[in-house]
Amino acid sequence: MFTLKDLRPGQKACVGSIAVEGLMRRKLMDMGVTPGVEIQVNKTAPFGDPIEVRLRGYSLSLRKKDAENILMVQ
Amino acid sequence: MKYKIALAGNPNSGKTTLFNCLTGSNLYVGNWPGVTVEKKEGNLRDTNKDITLVDLPGIYSLAPYSMDEIVSRNFLLEGRPDLIINIIDASNIERNLYLSTQLMELNCPMVGALNMMDVVKKTGVKIDVREMEKIFGYPFIEISAQKETGIDELIKLVEKTLEIKKLKEFPQIFPPEIMTLFNEFDEQIQHQYPDILPDYPRLFRVIKLIEKDEEVLLKIHGNGDLLEDIDAVRKKIEALSNHDVDSAIADYRYRFITAGINTATKKTKANTIPFQEKLDKILMNRYAALPIFFLFMFVIYYVSITLVGDITIGGIEWFINDVLMVGVAAGLGSLGAADWIIALINDGIITGVGAVLTFVPQLVVLFIFISILEDSGYMARVAFIMDRIFRHFGLSGKSFIPMVVGLGCSVPGIMATRTLENERERKLTAVLTPFISCGAKMPIYVLMASVFFTEYQTLLVFSLYLVSLTVVFGSGFVLSKTWFKGADSGYLLEIPPLRLPKLKNTATQVWERIKEFIIRAGTIIFAASVVLWFLQSFTPGFQMVDSPDQSILAMFGKVIAPVFIPLGFGNWVASVALLTGIAAKEMIISTMSVLLSGQDGSFTVAISQIFTPVSAYSFVIFVLLASPCMAAIATMKKELGNWRDFFFALSYQIGLAYAVSFIVYQVGSRIFV
Repeated sequence: MFTLKDLRPGQKACVGSIAVEGLMRRKLMDMGVTPGVEIQVNKTAPFGDPIEVRLRGYSLSLRKKDAENILMVQ
Repeated sequence: MKYKIALAGNPNSGKTTLFNCLTGSNLYVGNWPGVTVEKKEGNLRDTNKDITLVDLPGIYSLAPYSMDEIVSRNFLLEGRPDLIINIIDASNIERNLYLSTQLMELNCPMVGALNMMDVVKKTGVKIDVREMEKIFGYPFIEISAQKETGIDELIKLVEKTLEIKKLKEFPQIFPPEIMTLFNEFDEQIQHQYPDILPDYPRLFRVIKLIEKDEEVLLKIHGNGDLLEDIDAVRKKIEALSNHDVDSAIADYRYRFITAGINTATKKTKANTIPFQEKLDKILMNRYAALPIFFLFMFVIYYVSITLVGDITIGGIEWFINDVLMVGVAAGLGSLGAADWIIALINDGIITGVGAVLTFVPQLVVLFIFISILEDSGYMARVAFIMDRIFRHFGLSGKSFIPMVVGLGCSVPGIMATRTLENERERKLTAVLTPFISCGAKMPIYVLMASVFFTEYQTLLVFSLYLVSLTVVFGSGFVLSKTWFKGADSGYLLEIPPLRLPKLKNTATQVWERIKEFIIRAGTIIFAASVVLWFLQSFTPGFQMVDSPDQSILAMFGKVIAPVFIPLGFGNWVASVALLTGIAAKEMIISTMSVLLSGQDGSFTVAISQIFTPVSAYSFVIFVLLASPCMAAIATMKKELGNWRDFFFALSYQIGLAYAVSFIVYQVGSRIFV
């Protein structure tokens, strides 16, 4: 099992499930992070956090602590 | 017949540009009752119908998370628009259509405006609008708000759609078995719970109840039976979809969209925009990102504050002092006006209002730069870079933007906090932004530095900026754990593609901001100047004063002065200057110069008689940190929205300024005797 946080810039994988409850979960869903969607990590911010990812044809940035809760599958 | 139509869409979808295209120049900004976030209204142009267009804040979904979402949702539900124009960034069509699938539940006629088609066509993507209409159940049209193409056709489509009364059948977003569950639950609500949100569109009501939407839960007042029924439906959906309810519903929507787009769009070549991507790589480079950002900031402040300031301030001051005031004195004098009237107009109104208007050219240039940074998508990138640092102090990367703006003037800085979604972070940023030293405070530092710290002028000013940053971060750290504590809504930020800003849009934005500034100068500052002049010119017995220290103002000053004795500047001149500084920070220096002018020797000599180096430093620290000018105080009230937070913020700012100055003076005066 690996998470979105484990992906390095350039790598991509599909979302398996989102292991976070509440507001953040629903916001992630609204932004298109749903099971099965392919996400590619674009880059990491100069200070090492947050990260920028690409999904559904647009770029989204999120913190590593949230990326850690997005479980991925190949 | 009067029509009201709503413009709804995602942030960054070009909504404001389209709004300006659709309304032309007849635009006005109004506050929606009950909330502080602004909503714009305007009349649709080139139509013989009476159509009001309402521009709603950009939102990603109809869930009630941020202030913007609540405003938009409430308008769509309670404002009863006759039609919704759903603007969709066609270059980011998948995510944009997610909101559309929710708007479709509102049972309101809708028109889809596929924006940025110029960009989409360049990337080799073709969209079949007829196919889109078949799939989604409402008409679409291709436009480019930036290039102003397709706008006339959009207006015609709106007129045509307004005349059709019957809505098409709701498309198959959800699988039949789920739809059956929804319909059964809807019937159950109608029979068993007829009082539950009877005015809501039925499908929207069903889905929001099943989702346990917070706003809807508040409205059903803990109806236990209904909650049990909701849980029963949720279990059924979970069994059918093998997902929890939240992911199931979002998943169905996205699946429907993906399938629809695959049918309706054709890709003829790979979609990359090489130039923008290369530029983005440079701007966001690991090592270059920060230096580039600071270079931008330096250029912006150098050009607007120094370069433009040098060119314009002298000219404006010459015009005010040597042309306007001389002209008023001569003109009114020849008409036989009393001396006090001339003095009121010149020394009161023109001096007070003029001191503020002097800054207009600099602010125009500053606002142009800020507007370009916003429209180009660079601000989102800065927030991305800075988030790591700001998060340690209870803020997020997005708080950085208002503070950068606040270096010029706190008023637009505080207004810029509207871009923050999290209410706690938004309020905290609004309270901290005045601690960033604004441009109007600079002359005070320079004056004190030149009188008392001749050899260390730069060091003194630099130390003040250090104090300011320390206070911002320190206060952020403390307040985010005390007064403004609460849930961290997290950081989730779309990084829009880099775009070339549109000149016309920049001009509109700059004009709107400057207009607010000028209106304030003409109202609050005008009134304050008149009041101050009277207080400064008359004795308590309402006789014109011979010397300022007999005035009502001096009397006030002498009453307040003892408060400042522990800070080292317990003289009435400094107290009055701080008092007038509430109207505008520029007035601190002009007040001191007026009040000290009657005494022997030059202004600088007079200042060195009432201050020591330590008390002068304590004084500038107090000016830096204590409550901002009236315009900024009023803006802070408007953005905080309630008196409780407002009074707390004001007392915190004044209290902290007092405490820091107290320490500086008490410690300093013991070291440097």
